[in-house]
Amino acid sequence: MTSSSTQSRKVLSKIAQNRLQKELAEWQLNPPPGLKHKITDNLQRWVIDVSGAPGTLYANETYQLQVDFPEHYPMEAPQVIFVPPAPLHPHIYSNGHICLDILYDSWSPAMTVNSICISILSMLSSSTSKQRPPDNDRYVKNCRNGRSPKETRWWFHDDKA
Amino acid sequence: MDSDYEIVDAYDGDSAEDYFSGGDTDMDEGDSIGGFEEDEDDGDNAGYEYGYASDEGSEKTYTVLRESDIRQRQEESISHVSSVLSISRVAASVLLCHYKWNVSQLHDEWFADEERVRRSVGLLSKSVILFPNDSEMTCGICFDSYPRDQIHSAACGHPYCTTCWKGYITTAINDGPGCLLLRCPDPACCAAVGQDMILKLASDEDREKYSRYFVRSYIVDKKKTKWCPAPDCENAVEFELGSNVYDVTCLCSHPFCWNCTEEAHRPVDCSTVAKWILKNSAESENMNWILANSKPCPKCKRPIEKNQGCMHMSCTPPCKFEFCWLCLGAWSDHGERTGGFYACNRYEAGKQEGLYDEAEKRREMAKNSLERYTHYYERWASNQTSRQKSIADLHQMQTVHLEKLSDKLKEPESQLKFIIEAWQQIIECRRVLKWTYAYGYYLPEHETAKKQLFEYSQGEAEAALERLHQCAEKELLVFLDDGVFDINVTPDFGTFRPKLAQLTRVTCSYFENLVRALENGLSEVDSQAASSTSVKNGGAKGKGGKGKGSSRTGRAVARNIDDSDRWNCDRCTYANPDSSSLCQMCHHQR
Repeated sequence: MTSSSTQSRKVLSKIAQNRLQKELAEWQLNPPPGLKHKITDNLQRWVIDVSGAPGTLYANETYQLQVDFPEHYPMEAPQVIFVPPAPLHPHIYSNGHICLDILYDSWSPAMTVNSICISILSMLSSSTSKQRPPDNDRYVKNCRNGRSPKETRWWFHDDKA
Repeated sequence: MDSDYEIVDAYDGDSAEDYFSGGDTDMDEGDSIGGFEEDEDDGDNAGYEYGYASDEGSEKTYTVLRESDIRQRQEESISHVSSVLSISRVAASVLLCHYKWNVSQLHDEWFADEERVRRSVGLLSKSVILFPNDSEMTCGICFDSYPRDQIHSAACGHPYCTTCWKGYITTAINDGPGCLLLRCPDPACCAAVGQDMILKLASDEDREKYSRYFVRSYIVDKKKTKWCPAPDCENAVEFELGSNVYDVTCLCSHPFCWNCTEEAHRPVDCSTVAKWILKNSAESENMNWILANSKPCPKCKRPIEKNQGCMHMSCTPPCKFEFCWLCLGAWSDHGERTGGFYACNRYEAGKQEGLYDEAEKRREMAKNSLERYTHYYERWASNQTSRQKSIADLHQMQTVHLEKLSDKLKEPESQLKFIIEAWQQIIECRRVLKWTYAYGYYLPEHETAKKQLFEYSQGEAEAALERLHQCAEKELLVFLDDGVFDINVTPDFGTFRPKLAQLTRVTCSYFENLVRALENGLSEVDSQAASSTSVKNGGAKGKGGKGKGSSRTGRAVARNIDDSDRWNCDRCTYANPDSSSLCQMCHHQR
């Protein structure tokens, strides 16, 4: 068990199950480069290996993304965090929370796990320095007791996805 | 610009220029929307005029907007924009929501660069994707295939099925007013989702919510309009910027300050009110036990609960002691018949210094500071309670007693209007008086002259109000009592009528003076040296009620006598008769 408090989450709705099965089938048919989904029988939590793109600061490094789906996915955004140790990045906190608007306010049901992962990968690739967000310690302290990043009022560091 | 809600400015007869000198540009901008002033029926709100009884200076400073008025204005703005820009009403709504209903800004930007405006709000001129001719299409959210008639899209053409659209719209509406600016679900597409589509696909409950957000969007973020802060009131008030009188009264009869949205508090300024309210909330724990709801009778010591409006208390028999609720002194020291002086508004902070050691002194100071606060708070709260009671009494009068009285006296109710006016005056004066105690608390101790002038004006006004309240509450009882009333009482009513009407006028005039003095920051004290008549005549441009009062104290009458044979005290500015060498007010040497 990881730090997430989302175990109490309600089971997926019929619509969510249907959609996730389609996403999974599409993923297996056309696996996105740099991303590897570990197949489990738990449709509600996906764990995805993210490999840093060659030629970037994160080349030859692999991190794990954990994606938890709410009952009313895709109308509601999934919860996406890095399983610690999280990559050193100005928008990624040491507890794995990611400051990225499409995961919160700018989520749209027309987005998919695939498109989220690609956004995160491109966020890593465009990084120019390996460092934590300036408010990392304060934020992480406030997040103890396994608070979900979706409960955070995010103030996005920049407009770029 | 014509309306019936011109209550607030009745205080000041000569301020008409003020209302039209300031915010001209704002007014013009607002009017360009299309001048939808609507006229209210006189009869609707006749009962809500709590302002001073005055016929002059009736310039409008604000308009109350009911939900139907807001909807009507929105409709008119939409029609206007739709015809001027030659676009659909749905598109006009989208634009107006984005531009916060600022029609002139929308026009300016649209005609400067229509393409840019269209792009930024998502009004596409043509579809991004063309519908293929297939009989089935894939929904971009659930990825299922559907026949064409179950697929919908915004102007862009991105296809989603009915179920997914419903889910998308429901989620957006439940997320808050952001649903008014809803866009196509495709993350790369900015096409606006029109109101027609939302209303067609939303559930009844969500449609209701959406339409509420839509109405609210008209008020939110507008400089000129604010919601009435009363609970459950759905009206808004549109204010003429540039006016410096902020008190407004909503159609729901809630009087509030447009500037800070606290309860109306003229003549005290918003920052003093904010400080006072903050202080009350911090001190309320202490106050609760200090001021429990009863006081012991000063004579027989039985606990007494105040359950009527005025401060004149009578203990129950056999004690029957009459006393003042505020200072617990005998009432005989208060009434004008005994020539007594109404001194209840004073706080004497008179402890000798240097008599105690340091710790004792600090304890004493803390106690004094609490006592001082208690003094003002208690009077503030008493007037608040008294006002609430008076509102209930007025209601009772209007709904029950007036009709009975009219039957008994064989007089039409319109002839008894003076009773209603008296109660309205009492309610308004209790409110003003209440706030003057917050004012008094923050008046610096060292400004002795100001403090004395303040306490004098406040005391005069308070004494007048007590007489009026007493007359309206107690003396009227005789005529309301079913048992003892008979034709023999009618002559008494003949004297009661002018007495009450006169007291109403006199009290009104005292309070006008008080309000004016406080709004000037008691500046009469400063200018006193320059003009020897300023205090007494400064506020006399009035209703001619001064000097006619049959029931005023000797001192009050003296104020209206020509100033030539008087001298003004250097310290408190009081105009003393030539015969005395000590100031009657502050005992300062001439």
